[in-house]
Amino acid sequence: MRITHLSCVFAFVIFFFAGCQKDHIREKTSSTNNGTDTSYTSGVFVVNEGNFNWANASVTFIDPINNKVYQDIYSDKNNGHKLGDVAESMSISNNKGYIVVNNSNKVEVVSATTFSSITSIDGFNEPRFILLYNGQKAYVSNLQKNISIIDLNTNKVVNNISVSGWTEGLASYGHYIFTTCLGDYNQPSSKRNPRILVINAEKDMIVDSIKTGIDPTGIVKDKKNKIWVLCTGGYDYTETPRLMRIDAEMRTVEKVFTLPSTGYPSRLTINNNGDTLYFLFNGVYQMPVSSEAVPSKPLISADGRNLYGLGIDPATGNIFVSDAKDYVQNGKVYQYNQNNGKCIHSYDAGRIPGSFCFTNSSR
Amino acid sequence: MKFTHFYIGIASLLFFGIPAGSVLEAQSLKDTLHLGEVEIKASYIVKNDGFKRVKIDSSLLLPHLNSDLSSVLAQYSTVFIKTYGNGSIATPSLRGTSANHTQVEWNGIAINSPMLGQTDLSQIPVAQFNGLEIIYGGAGISKSPGAFGGIIDIVNDPDWENKLKVSASQSFASFDTYGMTLSMDAGNQKIQSQTKANFSSSLNNFLFFNDQTGEYERQTNAKYYQYGLSEELYSRINRKNFLAARIWYSQSHHYIPPILQGEEHNDRQLDRALRSMIEWKYFTGNINLLVRSAFVDQFMDYINDTLENNHQTYSWINKIRLKYSGIKNLSIQPGIDLNYDWAISDAYDGKKIRSTSGIFAEFVYDVHRKIEMSLVLRQDLIDNKCSPFIPAFGIEYRPFDKINISFSANVSKNYRYPTLNDLYWAISGNPDLKMESDYAAEGSTVYNLSSANGNVFLEAELTGYYSLMKDLIVWLPSAENSALWKPMNVSEVLAKGIEAGLNITVKAGGANISFNNAYNYCRSTYEKSYLPDDASIGKQQIYIPENTFNSTLEVRKCGFYFDYNLSYTSRRYTGKDNSSYMPGYNLSNIILGKYFHLKRIVLSLQGQINNLFDLDYQSIVSRPMPGRNYEITVRVNFNK
Repeated sequence: MRITHLSCVFAFVIFFFAGCQKDHIREKTSSTNNGTDTSYTSGVFVVNEGNFNWANASVTFIDPINNKVYQDIYSDKNNGHKLGDVAESMSISNNKGYIVVNNSNKVEVVSATTFSSITSIDGFNEPRFILLYNGQKAYVSNLQKNISIIDLNTNKVVNNISVSGWTEGLASYGHYIFTTCLGDYNQPSSKRNPRILVINAEKDMIVDSIKTGIDPTGIVKDKKNKIWVLCTGGYDYTETPRLMRIDAEMRTVEKVFTLPSTGYPSRLTINNNGDTLYFLFNGVYQMPVSSEAVPSKPLISADGRNLYGLGIDPATGNIFVSDAKDYVQNGKVYQYNQNNGKCIHSYDAGRIPGSFCFTNSSR
Repeated sequence: MKFTHFYIGIASLLFFGIPAGSVLEAQSLKDTLHLGEVEIKASYIVKNDGFKRVKIDSSLLLPHLNSDLSSVLAQYSTVFIKTYGNGSIATPSLRGTSANHTQVEWNGIAINSPMLGQTDLSQIPVAQFNGLEIIYGGAGISKSPGAFGGIIDIVNDPDWENKLKVSASQSFASFDTYGMTLSMDAGNQKIQSQTKANFSSSLNNFLFFNDQTGEYERQTNAKYYQYGLSEELYSRINRKNFLAARIWYSQSHHYIPPILQGEEHNDRQLDRALRSMIEWKYFTGNINLLVRSAFVDQFMDYINDTLENNHQTYSWINKIRLKYSGIKNLSIQPGIDLNYDWAISDAYDGKKIRSTSGIFAEFVYDVHRKIEMSLVLRQDLIDNKCSPFIPAFGIEYRPFDKINISFSANVSKNYRYPTLNDLYWAISGNPDLKMESDYAAEGSTVYNLSSANGNVFLEAELTGYYSLMKDLIVWLPSAENSALWKPMNVSEVLAKGIEAGLNITVKAGGANISFNNAYNYCRSTYEKSYLPDDASIGKQQIYIPENTFNSTLEVRKCGFYFDYNLSYTSRRYTGKDNSSYMPGYNLSNIILGKYFHLKRIVLSLQGQINNLFDLDYQSIVSRPMPGRNYEITVRVNFNK
């Protein structure tokens, strides 16, 4: 009798529970969604890498003029679909945004104004960065094996240029593409063969290579057609980090600037005028391209923050820098005045904000 | 009567506690408290002199012979299991601590990898042990230091009455999963031998829902197979001397599936372990002596398209325990531990060794017929450096003669040494790491009641714990080089919680019914930051649910047995700022079996449904888990 009661209670409980769980148990974010029919015309997209193997990459949109932030806009505008695993970078061309999603091995193509998905391109080898070339094609660097070439009309990988190693940063000069190549991804930094590869974009062939310091990651072109390359020196302190200036026409190294030995520089970037370099080095360094030495101290100091991403607003020249914190919580974005290094504003971002893409970027 | 109250208690716990919201507040627990119930599972609480130990015995394990330790713990204990998927890595979390803080032991020998500091529970098949003991918090100090959460000890014991017992089982399950076990126990009252073998394999290509495509897809690259073989020899030489020798070899090959939205790959892992030990026990008058020496050899090989990593470790573990009870009301239990680990790993620069020695003494004093106290003092010497002194103190009080209720409390301090990876991982390893420390306190009450005719048995338990862990090791980008991650003593965690259990066994109408419930409330929060503007302070640790509950109903009648297991896991945060989370869920498993007795042979046939309600869930972000799945098991048992 008592047992019967107990069984009834138990049975009831079971079916009560059963009725409750029609949901798919998936990671959810408690961020407030304030974007409904927003279009992203003026501002900056913050690409949040997300945690490796968690597939929680996201994009935050910041409208600095109206001081508004929209979190996870990709999911928001695409029926809750997730962007993927480790979103590395984004570039805009022809009103389309190209988001490189490293560990999902794809480039996600979205409308740059509505952020609704157009297509997804696959066929990469752990893609890193994308360079959009003359509106017709794009070059994608990969951690392994090759550089992929996308036809922007069909949104398909149409060609690959074999490379023995990890390619990272991309810059163009005339019909040449300069890409940094760190060497074999699976080797320690000290055993890699670091160089810059020069690709003829008309033939899609590697036509030259330039030896660099260990682990060249960032590459930009300045207004005088000098190519600047940032070499980290290796994660295992193989050598002193350095900044190299290369003449794009002659393809010769003009000058090597050594950085103070302690630290790991990253995210070399340049302003819209092409006259001032910026990079992270335990703070934000600012260096005019005409300078003959690396500044002795940063314009903006890290103050214990884990500065991780860097971008320069082409419209205002303001510095956008992200703090990834401990990588296991949402990061922040700070906006600084480039003239005095004063903080103008800070914004909440997603998990591991790593790179910036400005709506009016033209370079 | 008493039981009517009891139903109300349970009902209020279940209805108002869990379904009302995902959080079962302490408040609703209190509602049931005045009934004096709330307790632990088909397992039972061991006499505890102030410290908590729970045993799960072979009768409960038998229907799960073809599964592994992780699934048994997930269903029957308050140990939270973090699993990367069917057949993939599963690690324990006890009382809001990390997997590093739970020591897994095999007959008292620590088998956590000296490199990683943890054990993959999916690689410990139930077929290889016949009992299980969970030793909570400070109770583990006399066994091994550093287990802030506790110790899970898998145990093998001889049955001296046995003459010959041969068992075999074969299981067939969804996703081309097959399991086979064989065992033979033979001997007499002087000597016993136990031989066990297990084999399992699975294609593990279960269907899961892909949110991205909105379609069901098959899991890829998830197949595994594993096998193991063990031999145990036990000898009672005479009334004073007991000898045991055990050897256990296991090997596992498992492929590592890609994550949802990740790229295809064929990563895989091979694990091999050879564990052996000899043990001598000596009993005379007031003295018990235990001497144990073990050798553990563990090998791991990780392979993917571009690299292969080998990790080999050896551990030589020696223990001596003495118990002297010649003084009235006092027993003195001194002991010595001498351990030696060495590791040869592709991730290290050369061979790394570590020697650990510990001396300790435990004093158990019966102050009074109703009060017992115990004091544990421990001092370890690691690589010739003295680690801080470890004390623990426990007290137990049984106020009544007729009512079987006890109250106990303990306080302890504990230290954990960094793992070999923390110290020696190439370039990243940090030889300057300090020990992690833990300051813990615990209070509990246990009540049990047997009806006069023995047909009803009830056990209830309520425990509260508090543990402040300091200098916890976290891997993070180093200050001088953000690309280089290093382990640092930066974190501080405060874990506090309540464990409540209720166990009822009823014999009625020829049926044997048991109803076991365990509830765990655990608030484990980050307390210290090394970052400016850190949003994690005071927030719940990631992947540690605040509430877990499991309940099992077992009915046995006329050779039939029926088990229903329900386990609830509340929300688990996936961001240290608690900005993202995995929702809570309930899982149900059901077993129906029948025994057929044919003279000396017992044949049993069992059907099992896991994830009965076909819940689409993930335990870890982007790691799909299988939906409803089935298993049929046939067991044959010959007994002479």
